[in-house]
Amino acid sequence: MTKDLTTKSTYSRRDALRLMAAGSVASFVAPNLLGKPAYAQTPPTTPSGRVVVGLSQEPTVFNPLMAHIEVDDAVHFSVFDALFRIDPKGVLQPNLAAEVPSQKNGGISQDGLQWRIRLRDDVRWHDGKPFTADDVKFTLELITNPKFRAWRTGGHSLVRDIKVVSPTEITWRMESVFAPYMSFLAETFIVPKHILEKEADPNAAAFNQAPVGTGAFKWARRIAGDHIELVANTEYFGEGPYVERVVFKYIPDMTVLYTQFKSGDIDLTDQAYISADHYQEASKLPRRVVKLQPGASVESIYLNLEKPQFKDPAVRRALYAAIDRKAIIDAIYYGVGTVTETFMPQQSYYYNPDLPAQEFNLNLARKLLDEAGWLPGPDGVRGKNGVRLAFANSTTSGNNLREQVQQFLQQTFAEIGVEMTISNLPAAVMFGEFWLKSQFDSAISGVAHLIAADPDATNRLHSSAIVAKGGKGSNVGQYSNPEVDALLKKGAQTFDPEARRAIYLRVQEIVRQDLPFLPLFSATYVIGRKEGLEGSESNANTRTASWHAAGWHWKR
Amino acid sequence: MTAIAAKSGQDRWWNSRTTHRFLGHHLALLGMVMIVCLTLACVLGPHLLPYDSLYIDLRARFSPPLTGYHYLGTDPLGRDVAARLFMAGRTSLLVGFSAMLLSTLIGTFVGVIAGYRGGWIGTILMRTVDGFLSFPSIFLVLALAAALKPGPIMITVVIAASSWMEVARIVEAEVRSLREREFVQAGRMLGLSGTHIMFREILPNAIGPIIVAATLTVARAILMEAYISFLGYGIQPPLPSWGNMLNGAQQYLNSAPWLAIIPGAAITIAVTSFNFIGDGLRDAFDVRADHS
Amino acid sequence: MRGFLINRLCQSLVLLLIVSVIGFVVLNLIPGGPLAQFGLDPSMTQDDLNRLKEQLGLNRPLWMQYLDWAWRLVQGDWGHSFRDGASVLDVIGRHLFATLLLMGSSTIIAIAIGTWIGIRGATHRYSVFDYLATVGAMVALSIPTFWFGLVGIYVFSLQLGWLPAGNMYTIGDGSALNYMHHLILPSIVLALVHVAIWSRYMRSATLDVISQEFVKTARAKGLSERRILMKHVVGNALLPMITLAGMQLPSVLTGALVTETVFTWPGMGRLFLDSLGYSDYPVVMGLLMFSAILVVLCNLITDIVVAIIDPRIRLS
Repeated sequence: MTKDLTTKSTYSRRDALRLMAAGSVASFVAPNLLGKPAYAQTPPTTPSGRVVVGLSQEPTVFNPLMAHIEVDDAVHFSVFDALFRIDPKGVLQPNLAAEVPSQKNGGISQDGLQWRIRLRDDVRWHDGKPFTADDVKFTLELITNPKFRAWRTGGHSLVRDIKVVSPTEITWRMESVFAPYMSFLAETFIVPKHILEKEADPNAAAFNQAPVGTGAFKWARRIAGDHIELVANTEYFGEGPYVERVVFKYIPDMTVLYTQFKSGDIDLTDQAYISADHYQEASKLPRRVVKLQPGASVESIYLNLEKPQFKDPAVRRALYAAIDRKAIIDAIYYGVGTVTETFMPQQSYYYNPDLPAQEFNLNLARKLLDEAGWLPGPDGVRGKNGVRLAFANSTTSGNNLREQVQQFLQQTFAEIGVEMTISNLPAAVMFGEFWLKSQFDSAISGVAHLIAADPDATNRLHSSAIVAKGGKGSNVGQYSNPEVDALLKKGAQTFDPEARRAIYLRVQEIVRQDLPFLPLFSATYVIGRKEGLEGSESNANTRTASWHAAGWHWKR
Repeated sequence: MTAIAAKSGQDRWWNSRTTHRFLGHHLALLGMVMIVCLTLACVLGPHLLPYDSLYIDLRARFSPPLTGYHYLGTDPLGRDVAARLFMAGRTSLLVGFSAMLLSTLIGTFVGVIAGYRGGWIGTILMRTVDGFLSFPSIFLVLALAAALKPGPIMITVVIAASSWMEVARIVEAEVRSLREREFVQAGRMLGLSGTHIMFREILPNAIGPIIVAATLTVARAILMEAYISFLGYGIQPPLPSWGNMLNGAQQYLNSAPWLAIIPGAAITIAVTSFNFIGDGLRDAFDVRADHS
Repeated sequence: MRGFLINRLCQSLVLLLIVSVIGFVVLNLIPGGPLAQFGLDPSMTQDDLNRLKEQLGLNRPLWMQYLDWAWRLVQGDWGHSFRDGASVLDVIGRHLFATLLLMGSSTIIAIAIGTWIGIRGATHRYSVFDYLATVGAMVALSIPTFWFGLVGIYVFSLQLGWLPAGNMYTIGDGSALNYMHHLILPSIVLALVHVAIWSRYMRSATLDVISQEFVKTARAKGLSERRILMKHVVGNALLPMITLAGMQLPSVLTGALVTETVFTWPGMGRLFLDSLGYSDYPVVMGLLMFSAILVVLCNLITDIVVAIIDPRIRLS
């Protein structure tokens, strides 16, 4: 596995930069560059064959603008198109837009407030009606419609004065400069105005159960609780589709998901992929290709920094030193996981590779605590000024590997005089107010800090994002550092990738120093596919392995 | 036990017909022996084994049974399954017993009042019992378990809340039939209070069916704990219970089948034993079968 | 008869009312709520969550939510799932088939085997068979259903490879044979407990009938044992079974929930667990009410049937 990962991470950062700068230019020349695999075989001229994708949660929300979860993305990416898409290298590529706007090409004004998007003129909805700028306007307005149960409104709520200049051109003004909006638009799928405008209640539209998009695949049918079937859109304007049918099969059990992959009932494993304990066995299966793909989230111990135990940075450092990450990754997670020191995904252009590495050293941990005045009490548990170094740790009950990590940590922490108790909750309880309003002591969870792969982590790390203190966001650890606040603000207003990079490298440095959370490893997915299924390159900048079904084809 | 003596009158309880009949019931005896062994194992076992039930040794993970001193193998964290099994037995048996005590108390109380008072109080109480009974208890139990912070005490309460109805029904029927008997009439004429008659005069005479029902409730409670913990809403690790040892075992069914087989066998043995005992007691007390 | 019917009907309605109130309160006691699924999404701000909460009407006082829900229910509107916006009845309907298939086939197995064991046990009273059946029934009642399922999967799927480990059918192969193949293991697992119960009831029911006059008469007439059994015993003993079937419904539903979990069977039990996991209140309440109505209805029909057969019951 290490081999595979190194090849991924040696991807040159300079290359990326060049690509990013050139992205918009290149797109003029080759608008269908998107996701075309390097090893591309000659795909079939007419769509043929069927791909069955296994999902361990059931996609249930098919209006891509409504509040939904990761697993729904698999369907959205296949049925709909956005203005841009983000490719596996983190570069924005035009999708419904004819080009990616930038300050250089004039799509975005120098002050960052005026946006102009030029659209393709050859796109049709699945029902044959042409796609125009009116649809984009309708989509952006629907998101901020107070009656509509929209997903994120961040960024969209800043958009003002949307003007349809021509069927292929739209402009708007931003209330304030917000660079991440570019990336947000890559996850904002455009919905058809001519269908949805007739609906009195967009929340209950028939469209929501049988969506009509512009994407490479058309909605065929859904057997609820079982599967969703899509058929090829032969009129698709972009590359592909090459397969005739895509079936998203819902298999609620990870073991069964794997068994079905093994037996060949499933061609590709998507969300939540193959479980770590099957990785070894899976990689030896004949006629199956199994790869490790680092994901965007970081598995960490989140500390509630307002608890007196965790206010002292020495405690955080000591706890970090007492985590045997190698044992956790190698033994409990079967080697599926990559050591990381930061919240930034390693495949991101903004990843900082030069952070100090954590070292597992119990003596160091004890020394740090001794020096900071946390001394063992009569029961062996350390304390200082009447505060016992004891805390509860919570995670979602039923997640066996996390529960194993907890019990393992409990034992090592006890060795340095720290008492950790386990208090797990069902997911629906855990991630409610308990999590959002910072009612936990500490928690183990895999958390993504980026939205749509944009490096802006304001929602997680800015002090104005602490809900428990009246803020709006999801800084649940209640981390607060004025320098980080200032940097995050600057980063969100900077469009130039290079300038942004410097900002976010510094943010990561400070966060590594402060340790508001203790990173265990960056989540890594075991993605399996049947040999012969080509073009299914994975993309860590999206939340689904089915981000580009248009490019899939069977080797002949 | 005094109640039994009172019922059989002149004999001491060990000479009573009931005791003799119980001892003549082979299955009940077998159940008794198994429960005693199981309890002893759970109490003493952890002290005899060289491993602590919570000690993690990642190098020894997934050792199959009979590896070294790991007689029943190890779990995914390298903990000794035998040690965990016995510790889990303590939790499960304790939860089973406590839930039985609690539900028997509630059930007896409701049953006695409903049976003795009758009238609209009785109707309301017994309709409520019907209400609880006509409901797939697992739905309510899971919802309740999700609502409360999971722990042994909460699980006990939740199980008791879902299993007091049987006892209530049995007691109500028994009390209703005893209400008009001479000794009760006599008590009433003597001016004894309702509470006194209900709990001092009638209840001791209904003790047989209650004991039978209680035994069967232990069996049910142990099963219920297993269901809830298996589904992840029950007792949380690291505290082992037979149910939560099985939670997650399905994942390792192929590579480490003993993780699923051993705790399940323990549950089956315990529950079977209690059911055997209950059956024996039923025969011994001569409780009509249609009561249960 | 009419008074009896009205009386029972009223009682049933009160029962459903109690069930709905308990269910609603318990469900809303669960911390977290339906928006917890977005708790990990970095892009959902507290504003977004508050907005959704208001749009879903979850910020109203509990009693108001209950009355609103109950009033709609009375009018036949079961509400819409928070997850996919589909109507709750639709959602239940989609999962109903799988559960009915499983429950139906397991009930057929339970009745067939249970009846056979019961009658044989009664006619060969105190034989080795009878003894083993008695012990076997008690053991069967003691085995945790899910564990029996796990062992079944281990033996028949993993070791022998004869039967599939889960699911209702193989994708792309919706043939009846394929369904049957997937159905074997879960329905046997679910049937186990009920075989035990049926066989015990059948045994005592047969014993009751055997000792009655008309059987003795029939025997005196020189009819063969087999014919007596088929004609009188089975016919007469099956009547009380109607009551039993009604009484067992809740436990079959419970068993189905656990079995569906182990075998990833796409039925109502799994829907319940999924919906509970997402705090999808309308669907969870819908399932609670649906099963309660089913059970109440079953009891009602049983009562009526029994009342018609035996008028004395009505008086008591």
